[in-house]
Amino acid sequence: MSWSEAIAMTALTLRVGGVAVALAFLPALGLGHWLARREFRGKALVEAVIALPMLLPPVALGLGLLLLFGRRGPFFPLLHALGVELPFTWWAAALAAALVGFPFLVRACEQAFAEVEPRFEQLARSLGYTRPATFLRVTLPLARRGVLYGTLLAFTRGLGEFGATAVVAGIQPGRTETLALGIWSRIELGDDSGALVLCLASFALALAATTLAEGWLRRAPHPKAKAPS
Amino acid sequence: MQCVTKPGRTLCALAMSVAVLVCVSGGTARGADAVLDIWAAASLREPITQLARRFEAQAPGRKVNLVFGASSALARQIQAGAPADVFLSADDVSMDHLQASGFVRSETRRVFASNQLVVLAARELTVPLAVPNDLLRPEVRRIALAGPEVPAGRYAREWLASRGLAEAVKARSVVLDDARATLASVDSGNAEAGIVYLTDARVAKTARIAFVVPEAEQPYIVYVGAVMVGGDQPELADDFLRVLVSQEGLAALHAAGFLPPPAKTASSPSAP
Repeated sequence: MSWSEAIAMTALTLRVGGVAVALAFLPALGLGHWLARREFRGKALVEAVIALPMLLPPVALGLGLLLLFGRRGPFFPLLHALGVELPFTWWAAALAAALVGFPFLVRACEQAFAEVEPRFEQLARSLGYTRPATFLRVTLPLARRGVLYGTLLAFTRGLGEFGATAVVAGIQPGRTETLALGIWSRIELGDDSGALVLCLASFALALAATTLAEGWLRRAPHPKAKAPS
Repeated sequence: MQCVTKPGRTLCALAMSVAVLVCVSGGTARGADAVLDIWAAASLREPITQLARRFEAQAPGRKVNLVFGASSALARQIQAGAPADVFLSADDVSMDHLQASGFVRSETRRVFASNQLVVLAARELTVPLAVPNDLLRPEVRRIALAGPEVPAGRYAREWLASRGLAEAVKARSVVLDDARATLASVDSGNAEAGIVYLTDARVAKTARIAFVVPEAEQPYIVYVGAVMVGGDQPELADDFLRVLVSQEGLAALHAAGFLPPPAKTASSPSAP
């Protein structure tokens, strides 16, 4: 295996992980906030449904995606009309990664928002902040640690996604073969040293992401330390 | 409020950097205009890679994407919408499945090679493995086979059944995804023996050929290729298939240890 292959695979993995987080971030933020602030009947069921991608075998998830978006799936005609080709493209890999990372992100956001005292939000509203402004300038900044941590979890989980990706995107070198898939195909070829190189690349990616996130958290001290009591 | 606006900006920066990252890495994707997607049986890796690289060199901007795997798995993925232009299968069965569901340009279907089964022994195996019944020795604890729907696995099981060894071997078999994964498990010593193609055995690192399945017992092994209906490069795909059955293609296959197409298939459609 050549270096250029390994670098291309790492870049593809980053792209898939980045797009996955970008896809999951806003919905998870909204859902997390909603769940943190509302109590209603059937909430447990909603939470369970959100957690499903985390609990199901990823392969099952991949099959589900393929049945929904594949050539004979109910969503295929719609996507086709829009000119979107999803199965067996890197977008499918990103969608799979987004889906498996989503529950981690929602959970983290929900917990982070739940820890923000509603008093602060009420105070901001009484001072004339609109709802979105309150969310963006009070709630979100106070919850940033949890949100950032959830983003990191979802991103790294997406980087390592294997089962769902293999089913819905296939293992196509140069097109959908992310590091996790690449490691697997090297193992199947008996190319252990190639597999190890890709393992190292995965390790480097995860370490870089974690270090960056930790650095961010460190520069901005814990909100409780400065929050008025 | 000052203490909270800065982290808000930090989050904003995070989102921005993700967006930038996506754009940058997305921009480096591919610029080639004519990309031919060839999906081929795992056992064809070396000769097809070689032919594809030469095919690329024939025209500027031409690019060939290669996907190798079990023919049965590749066929299923093509049925599910995978973007293959050419499918090269290690048996009729996988191609027939695709053809029956309308994915094959049947006039392009060609038989292009054959192969032989061999029994592999891991370096660690010290007892002799010279005849089929040696597979039942207690020292041969694990026998690597490709899955029953995978051509390599189906051929191996056909042969084992013809020798009356199917059940006994099944009890100690390790099932792998494709021919190359089967080879790898014997090569790594994790299985003491395995049944693969002769051509796989030629690229083995440590495993050795214990014996070649005798001529008379060889199953009917046939490699067949065709242009796929869903592909976006039908002309290029057809060109590649022509190269494959030309002198150049047959020479590359021969050099890798493949046999010419079996005589039984003389009636199948030949190159127009």
